[in-house]
Amino acid sequence: MRELIATQRARHATKAIREQFGQTMIELAESNPELVAITADLMYATGMAGFGARFPERLINVGIAEQNMTGIAAGMASCGKLPVVCGYAAFTSLRALEQAKVDCAYNEVKVILAGLSAGVSYGVGGPTHQTYEDVAIMRAIPNMTVVVPSDAIEVDQALKACVQRPQPAPIFLRLGRGPEFLFNDAAGPYQIGKARKLRDGRDLCIVANGSMVFEALLACDALAHCSVQCSVLNIHTVKPIDREAILAEAASVKAMLVVEEHNVIGGLGAAVLEVLEAHRGCPVERIGIRDLYPPIGPTFELRASLGLDAENIARRALALLEWTGEPRTRVGSGRLRSVGTSEFGESE
Amino acid sequence: MVVAPPEARARPFLPMPVAGLREMARINRMDTTNMFMAAGNGHFGSCFSCAEILTALYFSVLRVDADRPQWPERDRFIMSKGHAAPTLYSALIRRGFMPEAWIDEFESKVGVKLMTHPSRRYQPGVDASAGALGHGLSLGVGMALAGQMDQRNYRVYVLMGDGEIHEGSVWEAAACAAKYGLAQLTAIVDANGYCVDGTLDQVLPMEPLGAKWEAFGWEVTEIDGHDFASLVPALDTPRSGSTGRPRMLIARTVKGRGVSFMEGVRSWHSDVITRQQYDRVMAELGESLP
Repeated sequence: MRELIATQRARHATKAIREQFGQTMIELAESNPELVAITADLMYATGMAGFGARFPERLINVGIAEQNMTGIAAGMASCGKLPVVCGYAAFTSLRALEQAKVDCAYNEVKVILAGLSAGVSYGVGGPTHQTYEDVAIMRAIPNMTVVVPSDAIEVDQALKACVQRPQPAPIFLRLGRGPEFLFNDAAGPYQIGKARKLRDGRDLCIVANGSMVFEALLACDALAHCSVQCSVLNIHTVKPIDREAILAEAASVKAMLVVEEHNVIGGLGAAVLEVLEAHRGCPVERIGIRDLYPPIGPTFELRASLGLDAENIARRALALLEWTGEPRTRVGSGRLRSVGTSEFGESE
Repeated sequence: MVVAPPEARARPFLPMPVAGLREMARINRMDTTNMFMAAGNGHFGSCFSCAEILTALYFSVLRVDADRPQWPERDRFIMSKGHAAPTLYSALIRRGFMPEAWIDEFESKVGVKLMTHPSRRYQPGVDASAGALGHGLSLGVGMALAGQMDQRNYRVYVLMGDGEIHEGSVWEAAACAAKYGLAQLTAIVDANGYCVDGTLDQVLPMEPLGAKWEAFGWEVTEIDGHDFASLVPALDTPRSGSTGRPRMLIARTVKGRGVSFMEGVRSWHSDVITRQQYDRVMAELGESLP
């Protein structure tokens, strides 16, 4: 299986997330005169140097002051501008959290809070520059939308959809950093709040977003060689979540496996369980960062060490399916099970 | 309940002469007291120190229109010291943005429009929800930047408490406003010398206020924050799309101003009010302020 996954992976090109972000921002600025970018001394780091050169008067650089950055964005939005906050997810979601809540969400203004380097995409940056809690925090804020694109193609689609979204509400756009494998269909439909079903199968549904969608697809295709048929659901919008898509999958598969580059507390897996809590019958298992500060390392190796790769997904999928073969009395709604470990505290 | 005299409830002509402003400030304190009586308690000290500032803004300075609360060319006002919201509510009610009936409903039941802190969601004429301190100046910088970009001539006013400027985010915004030369932005510090737990000198000293803001690149004016003859010309800045230094008005005020047993008393930052105290406040306000 390892070779199969490696072979498939090698067939895909990559593109850096921040490069795509900067390119799409320039394209959007051409056709949206009210669009402005605001950054806290991270113009280069968020891929916005090109934008700054092209539209110097529309790039507000406030220095290393994220609270002010987010407040300014809210003020500009209330006067008709369309501000895109270009920062690291770590600082946008935590340093300026109260501004995200009060100034943007409670104030009912549309600000796009683009948080780059999310998850462990800045693997060598260490926990100060990584985020495992941002999705949990942001989705708990009323009137906040949370979008997590999975490759550069979907970054382009998501950012364009965010700009077109009419609601007077902020959007937390959780983005990676460096190269990620390209796999989405650039011509495919994209709608905020609408999950994308990328594979069909009746044994197991693998739910993922962000960088984990590609890994889920690799796992799914490898499992097909073992006669295990998985569906893959890309839930790129964690909030508002696509309840119908989740419920439909839960009704047609034996179990769900949710994979995310985020703490298992409060992230996509938790959001899926919330949808399923009133619909008994489909066991759910979560793969994520198990409430710990990960070791330091290059992004892809680091993800693998945390179990955030196709091989581990496939292995866990097989174990989960084997378990579901046992008497149904052990299967409850959203019940967590462990494969030889406690729920939190150690990777497998 | 004591109500404002009928002539004050009619929409006033602007700008108002000083005598009229004094009367409106008196009404502002009465409205505020009535709101707090409806709730049983309130931030008396913080409201009474800025009654003249709000009155000067809404009855002599701001270009706003109650018939068009969202008029894009209006001047913006941000009540960053959100806990003094009743002074803003009174001004908006007396300018016709909100119905007078809301005074008696203040904080009285679920679903009322007026609460401790201002909300853009529920209150016409409020430009920004506030309450958590240290937010308003950044919002004001954003509003002024948007106006500067589009060469519009609206002005932006932000009222902060002197305790509020303990917040570090205020100084992030201060530096930024100077960088962008936001001449259309005026910030006012209601310098009553108190925060919740005591005087600023006891809790966290911030003097010299003027020198601090000047060092951040602002044009600073210090005035008596209860004197309309000083307040109105200092607030009524030129409409200009051009760049220049943002303006800081340090308004020296008295916490609890206008009520003898509240002036300079820490506990009246926020306190319950008895019926007897209410009657005494109204009796004192019934006479002209010194």
